[in-house]
Amino acid sequence: MSETPAAKPPEEPKGPGLCGQFLKDHGIATNRLPDSCGVETIEIDGAHLEAAMKLLRGSSEIKLDYLVAVSGVDSADTFDSVYQLWSYTNNNELIIKVRVKKTDVVEGQLPLVPSLSRFWSAANWHERETYDLVGIRYYGHPYLRRILNVWDWDGHPLRRDYKQLVDSLNDKAPGSFR
Amino acid sequence: MADSDVQGMNEVPDELKDTVTLTTLEKMIEAMGDLLSPVVSPIANAARSNSVWPLTFGTSCCAIEMMSVGMSKFDISRFGSEVFRATPRQADMIITAGTITRKMAPALITLYEQMPEPKYVIAMGACTVTGGMFNDSYSVVQGVDRVIPVDIYLPGCPPRPEGILDALLKLQQKIRTESYAERKKKKYRQNAVRQVDYDTGRPLEDLIDEARFETALALDPLKSLQEKA
Repeated sequence: MSETPAAKPPEEPKGPGLCGQFLKDHGIATNRLPDSCGVETIEIDGAHLEAAMKLLRGSSEIKLDYLVAVSGVDSADTFDSVYQLWSYTNNNELIIKVRVKKTDVVEGQLPLVPSLSRFWSAANWHERETYDLVGIRYYGHPYLRRILNVWDWDGHPLRRDYKQLVDSLNDKAPGSFR
Repeated sequence: MADSDVQGMNEVPDELKDTVTLTTLEKMIEAMGDLLSPVVSPIANAARSNSVWPLTFGTSCCAIEMMSVGMSKFDISRFGSEVFRATPRQADMIITAGTITRKMAPALITLYEQMPEPKYVIAMGACTVTGGMFNDSYSVVQGVDRVIPVDIYLPGCPPRPEGILDALLKLQQKIRTESYAERKKKKYRQNAVRQVDYDTGRPLEDLIDEARFETALALDPLKSLQEKA
């Protein structure tokens, strides 16, 4: 049996990439993360998110004018809100992460990230889905309700600490294989 | 409630006595049911088993196989079951073709309750038999028999169209061998269907139990905790 080689840790990026440099030129500080599948990935502070998005979308040289997805990740010590952008004209991609440290989240409240849906309507349902499953509260969202689960579901199913209530729809009969 | 169900249709529940009147004809038919059953049942059953009209109900990939079995290559109409009805009020059988989520469960129960007796259920595919590959999923009902009574289990992911035909033949066998009068007597009690709350997606029984427990806890904390332990 051949042993599968252990996955190499991702290489640290050299310097700011194309979009990182562009944002730096316009006075928005970003932190470059290891590339995800060859796509430039940057981390940005939540306060600058909207300005950065407007710059990236509006400028003629970058023109990342298609918001592919907004998703969320419950990492070990942060909650990440992930934005995937695409440019048809330049055939270019960018992934933006807004990270909220778990230690910064107030006990009993959800992590806060500014909403994009006021000027980018594609984000509306994606943010609702992320709120529903990962539990990131996008402030400024016009209608932040659950979209997949029923409206008063308990908890957020994709959280690491999610425990589901056992009821007669999912309990395990003694002797069952499940 | 339980008594009136066991004794048959003659008993009208108290809350319906104002609006329901049983005619003597219905009472006579009820009384003759047992007598006539040996004569009528085989004829009626042959007719019923060869015209099992399914409800158009598909929630995911099993529905593709269900459509395929309705088309000419497999042709479910050879068994008298080709008339997929678009309303539960005209259907005799429901093939639960696809995953039933907690959000879908209340709708499925509504459909099932709108079907007229006698009604049959084929649980089609792994998802509706046991939860299948959505085992331990937070959103999927772990087997459709947890919400409605199932007659035939048809495993597969999804089952081949031949499998659906086989399930239908098994169901026809079942219909042919049953006595309608007998079936009527032990008509499903209403709580054979497990009600699911529209808002929370949780079974109503559990919610009621919870409410009862909380009431008891408020009234007499010590006693109710001891009982629970």
